[in-house]
Formats: sequence, structure tokens, C-alpha cells
Amino acid sequence: MNPDRLISFRGVSVDFDSRTALEDVSVLLDQRRIAVIGSNGSGKSTFARLLNGLASASDGEVRVHGIDPLRQGRLLRRRVGFIFSNPDSQIVMPTVAEDIAFSLRGRGLSRTEIDERVSRMIDTYGLADHADGPAHSLSGGQKQLLALSSVLVSEPELIVADEPTALLDAANTRRISNHLLDDMHQQLVLVTHDLGLARRCDVALRFDHGRLVACGDPDTVIADYERSHA
Amino acid sequence: MFKQATWDVRDTTRVAAFAALIAVLGLPGALPVFGGAVPITLQTLGVMLAGTILGPWRGAAAVLTLEALVLVGLPLLSGGRGGAGVFVGPTAGYLIGWILGAFVTGAIAFSGSARPTWWRTAAACVTGGILVVYAFGIPIQALVTRLPLAETALTSTVFLPGDLVKAVLATAITLTLWRAYPRAFSRRISPTRSRGAGVTR
Amino acid sequence: MISVYRSGTSILHRLPPGLKLIGFIGTSLVIAVTTTHLLEVVAAATFVMTGYAAAGLGARALTSQILAVKWVIVFMLVPQLLFLSALDAVSNTARVVLILVLAALFTMTTRIPDLLDAAERAASPLRRVGIRPESVALLLGLSITSIPVIAGFAATVRDAQRARGISAHRVTFAVPLLIMSLKHADDLADAVNARGIES
Repeated sequence: MNPDRLISFRGVSVDFDSRTALEDVSVLLDQRRIAVIGSNGSGKSTFARLLNGLASASDGEVRVHGIDPLRQGRLLRRRVGFIFSNPDSQIVMPTVAEDIAFSLRGRGLSRTEIDERVSRMIDTYGLADHADGPAHSLSGGQKQLLALSSVLVSEPELIVADEPTALLDAANTRRISNHLLDDMHQQLVLVTHDLGLARRCDVALRFDHGRLVACGDPDTVIADYERSHA
Repeated sequence: MFKQATWDVRDTTRVAAFAALIAVLGLPGALPVFGGAVPITLQTLGVMLAGTILGPWRGAAAVLTLEALVLVGLPLLSGGRGGAGVFVGPTAGYLIGWILGAFVTGAIAFSGSARPTWWRTAAACVTGGILVVYAFGIPIQALVTRLPLAETALTSTVFLPGDLVKAVLATAITLTLWRAYPRAFSRRISPTRSRGAGVTR
Repeated sequence: MISVYRSGTSILHRLPPGLKLIGFIGTSLVIAVTTTHLLEVVAAATFVMTGYAAAGLGARALTSQILAVKWVIVFMLVPQLLFLSALDAVSNTARVVLILVLAALFTMTTRIPDLLDAAERAASPLRRVGIRPESVALLLGLSITSIPVIAGFAATVRDAQRARGISAHRVTFAVPLLIMSLKHADDLADAVNARGIES
């Protein structure tokens, strides 16, 4: 196992509002691309949110690259980037450049270094024409590229994406997923209903009613999932 | 008197969203009342709701945030008004009244039991959203325009029916929201929250 | 967002925004308190016109700013003419219009990002009462970005209710709009938290 990419869950349960969102999950992962599938309410989003401390375990132990989310939450959030489905709820500053720069606040970087990193992101993701324009005038696909840039600019080691293509059309889904699955070197946990994307990962996890019911080769896990719904 | 829980990111984003919501209520046709026949600004409705939903501190903070954006020049008041001018013109007192009005509305609405009652909510909207706003608005308008206080108060009564309608609307909206989405009333979600953002799904 | 900023290099454009804001508010108060008689109104008007000239803004900019406050003129002048003498009514109205036009001069010569930066700096004394200046900047930024999002929610609710044959009005409109706005706020909080920003 590769220790730099090790994600380990030991007997993890999450209770929320007197309901069990996740029950006794144990798994060891070190693959570059990890797909998480399952029906709505199966616990896959809770699994994803545990990875950067947006949710916390009621029981059991989570380790992400050796970090304990309960004790080192701040450090974890700096190492783990999170992308949501709706780009509108991720943009927090008025212009494209300001939004990307926002992620670098409070990290002791110089003004010139921040500017340099921001412009590198803007160039990589084809947002140069909009750098000083209002972020909300971008198209849906461009907004999601902006969300991705704002996460990648802080150079996280792991990207957790919770249905990042759910609100995008086919062309933008292809753009975003190619960035995540092929261009990026960081480890990726991809929660998705798009089984085509899940097939392109190195391993797939399937959740059902809060339990981890399958973990392994994506083709096998997905075929089994499709059979259960046939 | 008001126990101020620690301020976290969720409070910041709710205050920001409410500031934006009050701005949106100022857009033409944002919320048609009586088929748009009565030309009243709905931003006072937003001020009352900021108090009844967010409570005194967060409610006043939302109004203050909106006004800070207006001060730097964004045209966010109804009719596309904005800029430093509105704070030195005849309406200056009403804008100050909004901040304190939201606070008083929230203080009355959040006193007593957790569940909002129609009479406490209505009293909060009338006291905070009308009495406090007028108490600052009318004297400062008289001062700026140098029209005597009594005459200024007389001319301001044309807005009173509209404001009473808004207090009724704000009360109905608050009570309906409580049934539809109790999480909206922020002080009541804090006890379930522990570390950081907590579990939200 | 409509920006009323007119680019330029005049002394008024180059003044630090915080200082300029204090200066403008101070000047407005002086005009508000001291100007009563017609002669004083004329003097104040000359002063304001000099300000526009110093900023490199001509008579056209001044006229458009006066037209922008035409409803203030109407709403002030009518009751004043009812209760006061014509001369007092006119000079009172002129004084208020001058103050508004002067405030517009400030808005036209100051860029909004510069003012937001100044607001963040001005908020630094709040650190002592436990409010971080960064959260003030975050609050202002979040509010600006949320306006188009919430305007979009309002349009969605209107369309959805029209599609169901409900005439969109009052309570049935406001409640879903409030719920969507508050959920948006909670999603934003997750996104800010996920980016590792403690505010």
C-alpha cells in the first residue's frame, strides 16, 4: 500500500438526527481514482464528507493520509479539496480572480506569489478572458471549472468531488471529468451517479442503506449494482 | 439578555444571504403584491423577516451588510438607488432605522418560547419594522429637508398602510416558514451542531 | 452589477478611498447645516461644480446626476410648497439635491474593490471585540455573489408557481424563496469550510 495516499476507515458509523447515515464502514484505499456509487440516501455523500471533516464520525476511526479529522481538522481541510454539485454555492467572492485567491488566504503567501498562482490557474482552466469579470456571469461549465481552480490552487493532495457533474451538460461533463480523471495528478474520490465516469476509476465502492456493500474492480462492482436494479 | 452563541461560518453565510435577499426584494417586480398595483418597497418586508428569522444580532448584521454595500456605491436599494448620497439625503434616517428596527424585531420575536406565535411576531414587526423605523426616519427627514416635524410626519402617513400590510405579510411568512422549514430559525439549530460544520446530511 | 465608476487620473480619483469618504460626508454635513439663504445655496452649488470640474467630469455628468434624483426633487418640492414659502421650498430642495449630487461625485471617482479593501482595513479595530477583518471582507464578498443567485431563485419560484397555475404572490412566493436562500447559505458555509478558511 502507498502510505502517501492511504485512506483508512475502521468501524466508522455516523449518526445524524437519530438516523444512522453510515454504519460500521471499514476499508483501506490507496488508489489514484476512487469511485463511490449508490442510490440517493445510501451514505455515499456522508462517506465523502468524512474525508475533509464536513461530517464527523460518531464511532470508529478515520485516517486520511495519516491525519485524524477529529483532532487535525484544520490541517486536513488544507490537504483535502472538496467540489460540490452546484457551482453557485461554491463561489464566495465577486470576481473570478478574487475567488481563486480567496483559497490562499491566511497561508502566509506573499502578494506576488498569490497573484502568480492565481494567474497560472486561470490560464490552465481557460478563464483568462473572465479573470476580473463577475464570477456569476460565467456559464455553468465555466463556473464548475472555477470551483475546481479554486480548490486546486491551494495544491491539495486529495480531491473529493460530490457529484461534480450532476448539473452539467454532456460537453461540460466531459471537460470536468477529463480534468479530474486524466489531467490531475492528485488522488480523487469521485461520488457519482454517472456509471460511465465510475468505470474510468481504479476502484469502486458501493453503498447501500448506510453500509459499504462492495469494494473492488469498477466493472464488477457496477455490473453487480446494475443487476440489483434490473 | 440575548445569549450570543459563538459566531461561525454558517452565521456569516446566512447574514450574507439575507443581505442579498433584501437587495433582491428591491428589484422591480421581485415579489408582486396585489398584482403590483400598490407601489410599495418590499425591502422593509426583508428587514422585518431578517429580525423574525435570524434574530436580533444576525438580523441587524444582515441589514448593516446591505447598507455597507450601498454606501460603497452598489445600487441595491429599491429603484436602483445606491451610493453615499442616500446616507446624507432625506431617507438617511429610515436606513439607520432599518438596522435598529431589525434588531428590535428580532429581540421581540425571539423572546419567550422557541415556537413563534402570531401575536408576538406581529408585535415585533409593527414595533421594530414600523415604529422604530419611523422614529429615526421622520425626525432626520425633517432635519434634512427643514420641513417642520409635524408636517413631515403628516406626509409620511401615506406609507403607513403599505407598511402595515408588510407587517401582516411578514407575520404570515414567518409562521408558515416555521412549519415548512424550522431549521431556518438559526438559534434553534445551534444545539445539534458540534465540531466545525457538523453533519448536515 | 452596474458600475457608475468613471475612470480618471484626477486628484479626486487618486485620494485614498477611506479619507475621501470621510471628507465627502464631512463636506455634506457642512452644506446641510450652514446653507440656508439663496446666496449660500449659490456658493455651495459653485463648490460642487468646481468638484466636478476637478474630477474631469463635465456639465453632462452633472446634469445626468441631477436627472437621477428627479423624483427626490418632486417628492421634496411638493410638500414644501404646501407648507413653506416658495423661496424656502426651492432653497431647501436645492440644498438636498446638491448634497446628493456631491455624493454621486464620490461614487463616480472611487472603484468598488478599492472601497471593499478600505472597509477591510477599517474593520481591523474590530479584532479587539473578536471579529476578524477577514470575515468582514468575506461577508461583503459573499453578499455580492449571492445577489444574482438569489435573484435566480426568485425567477425559478415564479416560473414553478406559474407552471402549477398558482398566481405567484405573497406568502406562497416568499416561503420557498426563503428556504432556497437559507439552504444556499448553508451550502456556502460548507464550501467555505471545505476550503479550509476559518472565519
